[in-house]
Amino acid sequence: MADLKVDVTNLKKNYGSNQVLKGIDFKVANNEVVVLIGPSGSGKSTLLRCLNKLEEPTSGSIVIDGHDISDPKTNIDKARENIGMVFQHFNLFNNLSVGENIMLAPVELGKANKDEAMTTAKQLLETVGLADKFDAMPASLSGGQKQRVAIARALAMNPDIMLFDEPTSALDPEMVGDVLEVMKDLAKDGMTMVVVTHEMGFAKEVADRVVFMAEGHVVEEGRPEAIFEDPQNERTKAFLEKVINI
Amino acid sequence: MKKFIAMLSAVFGLFMLGVFSQPQIQAASEKTYTIDTDVTFPPFVYANTENKYVGIDLDLLRAIAKEEGFKVKIRPVGFNAAVQSVSAGQADGMIAGMSITEERKQKFDFSDPYYSAGIVMAVKDGSGIKSLSELKGKKVAVKTGTAGADYANSIKDKYGFEIVTFDDSDGVYNDVINGNSAACFEDSAVMYYAIKNGLDLKVVTKPANTTETGFAVKKGQNQELLKMFNEGLAKLKANGEYDKIIKKYTEGKATSKTKVKSQTETAEDRTVLGILKENKDAFISGIIETLKLTVVGIFCATIFGIFVGLLGVVPNKFCRGLSTTIIYIFRGLPLIVLALFIYNGVPSLIGSKVPAFLAGVITLMLNEGAYTAAFVKGGIESVDKGQMEAARSLGMPFGKSMRRVILPQGIKIMVPSFINQFIITLKDTSILSVIGLLELTQTGKIIIARNLEGFRVWAIVAVIYLVIITVLTLLSKWIERRINN
Repeated sequence: MADLKVDVTNLKKNYGSNQVLKGIDFKVANNEVVVLIGPSGSGKSTLLRCLNKLEEPTSGSIVIDGHDISDPKTNIDKARENIGMVFQHFNLFNNLSVGENIMLAPVELGKANKDEAMTTAKQLLETVGLADKFDAMPASLSGGQKQRVAIARALAMNPDIMLFDEPTSALDPEMVGDVLEVMKDLAKDGMTMVVVTHEMGFAKEVADRVVFMAEGHVVEEGRPEAIFEDPQNERTKAFLEKVINI
Repeated sequence: MKKFIAMLSAVFGLFMLGVFSQPQIQAASEKTYTIDTDVTFPPFVYANTENKYVGIDLDLLRAIAKEEGFKVKIRPVGFNAAVQSVSAGQADGMIAGMSITEERKQKFDFSDPYYSAGIVMAVKDGSGIKSLSELKGKKVAVKTGTAGADYANSIKDKYGFEIVTFDDSDGVYNDVINGNSAACFEDSAVMYYAIKNGLDLKVVTKPANTTETGFAVKKGQNQELLKMFNEGLAKLKANGEYDKIIKKYTEGKATSKTKVKSQTETAEDRTVLGILKENKDAFISGIIETLKLTVVGIFCATIFGIFVGLLGVVPNKFCRGLSTTIIYIFRGLPLIVLALFIYNGVPSLIGSKVPAFLAGVITLMLNEGAYTAAFVKGGIESVDKGQMEAARSLGMPFGKSMRRVILPQGIKIMVPSFINQFIITLKDTSILSVIGLLELTQTGKIIIARNLEGFRVWAIVAVIYLVIITVLTLLSKWIERRINN
């Protein structure tokens, strides 16, 4: 099982009487890029947020990198150091500059001293094409720039796996490409990624596997060609028709 | 997160230790008794032009103490506060022109009477009212808890008037002078003394319901003090000292010489500048007490408020519930109730005295702290949830995330509320005059009790408050700019 980065078994999540995840089995192998698609309210974001325990699962087990994070005894902060997350609304720390945003966690958590963290931060900013923004404040950046900084911030902790929660949904169309480019590069470098997105083009091009969710279930999954060109399930077909015909 | 709570608890614990573990200084060769009084009650007790507390009661008490070999510590807390402090054991006894009544005997043991007086009705000079029967449908002013008030209550149905109560004599007199009330009922000695000193009222009835005035201790307590008082009083009566003291305060008006003298003195003193000059020391010590209360109060309330506010946002149901409860209780209680509860209620529970200043500071800490906690909590909650999620998703523990990401953003939102709360705290210190703290408001009351210049003295007090508030605001704005840069 060493190659399994994510191993979710029979995961259920209730909000009061409303069951959002109804027994999910979900696995991600090392270096695999998995894209979660599905209509809104299908539970894909909830599933993603359970993977680093931003949502507390109601029942079921979640093993990430060999650590059972659904076990209350597991140190979740330690586990999260290896799980990068990128949010729909970027969530850059508004009180800190771009450089400080990236350096904060590695320095605070003793992963690097200030100089090392600064070197890493500058390198990462260069990879995402924002080398000149080190001292800028988040408020002065465009959405696309913010999201690329957010990716750099997550990468600064040198995670084994990256979670993306609709990373391009809040962006103006012309910004989407830049962010997707950065994500494609990451995938090429072998990063294990779980991506919730509505960018079907990205899914087709980059994903090793596409998972279609609806109403709290995994309805269908497989190679992107299989899902997009030959969906088996009626609901998958209906969903893809709507999305692709826009 | 546990570390974070532990750290907060440690800070708070240390702080509380500091507040409550003030060393108890107790060194007395000659026994000292704490006696509470109301210094707005001439001729029994009042502050003279040198701001010394004098009057029939205090002159007698001091003479008796000298005769019997004990010491007294006089605390000018006001009549109601004195009644409560003695009941709660915060003071050993009280002397404040207190009538001996059956009701009071339930709670107090009284000395032999040292003065007897009756209740008279006074009206505005020229109002034309001459008898009780003319009061029908009118208002009558009395001071709460006095024999005058009891008398008014006993006859109000018979004569069909309505009672308005005030906490101090100045309020009573002014209400009559302003025409809101048609008359007031007051102890004869008090009334004659006030009129002698220039009050524009006229006594129109003979003293009724003659009552005896006595020194009081809590029932069953301090019997040796009561015994000494009685023995001393008997000695003073025997050696003529007693008569001298009584005459000094009630018959001085007879000589035209003193009258003229007092009038010229009065004329000089009645300008704002004159009042300021004459009471300079009293005002300064009042300002200092107000500032001390404000600074210590703000400090404690801010620490307490931040602690409780943070408790309200930690991911632990018990902590959040505790925070909400503390805010609910102490924001819900009127400050005056809380102050009286801590000063007069708590001592009977824990069996030891709570110094007035400490009681005042705790009151401010709890009440202002609850408001502070509410906006600290609100400020933190108003920071976008995504900020905390992003910090936590990087592996930063709750405390670190709070300190490095949430608080710096929350504090900016809170700064205006902090400044507002500082100003409110300053103003609220005036309410602490009810537990006898000699701050600016209480100082004003005491000065007015002597010179009866309500308008000018309150105007002076108001201006002093505004000046302090202006300084406080400027200081806060300066801090705000520092924080924002």
